[in-house]
Amino acid sequence: MTDIVHKHGESNGQHLDEMTCLLYIDRQLDRTRGLEVSAHTQECGDCRTLLRALERESRLLTRAMLEEDEPLPSRLAAFQEVAKRSLQWIWGLAFGLAATGFYALYTGYVEPWQQRFEQAGFGGNNLLGLLIFQGAFWKGWQSMITLLEIVALLTLAGLGAAYFRRRLRRGSALALVLAGFCALMALPSAVMASEFRKGDSIDVAKDEIVKGDLFVSGARARIDGTVDGDVYAFCQNLTVNGHITGDIIAFAQFVRIDGQVDGNIRTFTNSVAIRGSVAKNATSFAESVTVDSTGKIGGSLTTFVNMLALDGNLARDLLIFSHRANISGTVGGSVQARGDELTIGSTAQIVGQTRFEGRNPPSIAAGAKLGSPVEFKKLEHKPFYTEGTYFVWQLIWAAAFVLFGLVLFVLMPKFSQEAVNSAEHYGASMGLGVLVFFAVPIAAVIACVTVVGLFIGISAFFVWYASLYYAQIVVGALVGKWLMGRTSETWPLIGRMVVGVLIVRACTAIPMVGGWIKFAVILWGLGAVSLALYRRFQPMIAPNVPAPPLTSPPLPPNTTVGSPQPA
Amino acid sequence: MSAPGITEPTEAIARARAGDTQAWGELFHDYAPAIFRFCRRALPTREDAEDATMEIFMKLKGKLGQYDESRSFSAWLYKVAANHCWDTLRRRKIRQDKETDDVESVPLEHPDSNQLEKLIEQRSSEEVRRALKKLGTRARMALVMRYYSDMSYDEIADALGVRRAFVGVVLLRARHELRKALEGNTALAAGGAF
Repeated sequence: MTDIVHKHGESNGQHLDEMTCLLYIDRQLDRTRGLEVSAHTQECGDCRTLLRALERESRLLTRAMLEEDEPLPSRLAAFQEVAKRSLQWIWGLAFGLAATGFYALYTGYVEPWQQRFEQAGFGGNNLLGLLIFQGAFWKGWQSMITLLEIVALLTLAGLGAAYFRRRLRRGSALALVLAGFCALMALPSAVMASEFRKGDSIDVAKDEIVKGDLFVSGARARIDGTVDGDVYAFCQNLTVNGHITGDIIAFAQFVRIDGQVDGNIRTFTNSVAIRGSVAKNATSFAESVTVDSTGKIGGSLTTFVNMLALDGNLARDLLIFSHRANISGTVGGSVQARGDELTIGSTAQIVGQTRFEGRNPPSIAAGAKLGSPVEFKKLEHKPFYTEGTYFVWQLIWAAAFVLFGLVLFVLMPKFSQEAVNSAEHYGASMGLGVLVFFAVPIAAVIACVTVVGLFIGISAFFVWYASLYYAQIVVGALVGKWLMGRTSETWPLIGRMVVGVLIVRACTAIPMVGGWIKFAVILWGLGAVSLALYRRFQPMIAPNVPAPPLTSPPLPPNTTVGSPQPA
Repeated sequence: MSAPGITEPTEAIARARAGDTQAWGELFHDYAPAIFRFCRRALPTREDAEDATMEIFMKLKGKLGQYDESRSFSAWLYKVAANHCWDTLRRRKIRQDKETDDVESVPLEHPDSNQLEKLIEQRSSEEVRRALKKLGTRARMALVMRYYSDMSYDEIADALGVRRAFVGVVLLRARHELRKALEGNTALAAGGAF
């Protein structure tokens, strides 16, 4: 330091240089040199003026920096540190729940549906297909109940632990919501105009009338009486011999309808047998659906099944996605079928048109009465990327993504920025992404059939589904930021998003590994979006809130011209 | 470095060291605004500052054991913050070319005192903050350390990884850059002998 000062500072008959003056006011000169400078400035007006100007400049700088020109960001608001540590166990919980959810989904749904759709003529070659439609046989919905119980227990245990460790603060609202929801599921008792019955064996006796909706949960449910409302069933076996004036929504292993249903039936089951009458429509996701010769459906029938046997009477249209379908009954409307095999028996009668897309030509018995000849289109399976149109469609999809992203980024610039920034927290984003990816659809399904309401469930599902696409855009924007640099402006960010989305789409179009990349991108982006939403719920410190004790660091020493200090 | 009248959070630090999360909350509540503002001045974007503030406090958990209670807590905290911000900037490798220049080549002649006075008179704090954003990262970092957190030349040298003797040069050069940004006038920034 001394070298520099002596090199540039001249005090004998010449002016002090700026460096010397700065070191002087910052008290960095040794005592001797300081006294020299002090003496010089007593005599030299120019140097005194410079010294004062530098001092004022220092004060201006300090003032400019210390001024509170913006409030503390919401995510840094009070106790955020604690909340952040709370998040650590949330991530642990998230991974635990996600692992459980993944296992349950895989064994309960992924395996059977993949096989079913493959049999129905849909390829399962991409990752989403692999995840959703892979596997063995349907194992029933009781695993869903078990999963819920695990979710509830884990979440509540986590919350209890957090409470006792005095770590839980406002930031854990997400966990509270989840816990509340699970608690609601665990105790679904206080609902108006609804009756809940639980147990191994549930019976509605022949002369019994249940007023309002009936929720049944157990191993076996048998309804011989009347239910004046809807029936929601979570059980292994559901048998309806009586009369139901509303709809049936069943998550069960076996469903048998021998009685009368005045509304619709929606089943997610292993097998459905309809021997009675359904006044309106029937929709079924199942291993097998049978409509016996005595069975009647007043509306249409939509099936996603391995095997369909229609021997009864269907008043309107029939839509089939199945491995094998056998029609020997009456169809009042048209038939649209897709799958491996379609057999139309000699007793069949189809009033409208019949269209079939499948691997094998339909087998049509001689005596079948058809409104028009069957239109058949043969399905041929080959790797999707060997088709020339695959890459054209990828381009079109990329353009659609860019457009979708553009709209979202323009509509929600700030939130989009936050989501992209959240994506930089890789671990948190992935963890939350895994949780949201599996938990939200489960929660949506549950909401649809419980007190929370159908509207909330369906809305949640659609938001979740849209977020799968938004997630890819967010990750694309982050990739763009990596390549082109950071920005806080909207349009430059959109530019980066466009570049990034094209790159991400190119990666996801790679044969074999593209599906995995896409899945990872979706999880990552979904977590980032969720994280940004979570942070939105954090409390905001208003600009006029009094500053905490140490918002203003100490001012620099008030150096004066005539009081040099040793360095 | 602690401001007069502000007591050191000795008790909260002791409790935080013992793992009391409530004490962490108190420390965060009291010091986060100042650290955020420090980061906001030192780093390019608001998001960077938010992230850095969070990271500094997370880092603090591991470092609190190293804190010497005979020193000012805020001074120590600023030192941690300065090191973190500078590391962040260095990792990002966005330092401008001019920062690789030899620091000794900076002109050290007198500026026009009157013109400097006039410039200071006319500029508001907000203009200074805007100008600050136009500076190179090292210049900005040096000014923030010196004039926001009142760090000593030794501490600045340590954080920036330069010899102590050059801290004054770095600061002076930063002031010149700032004047240039404020004025858009090279004459004043370059200085003119009188």
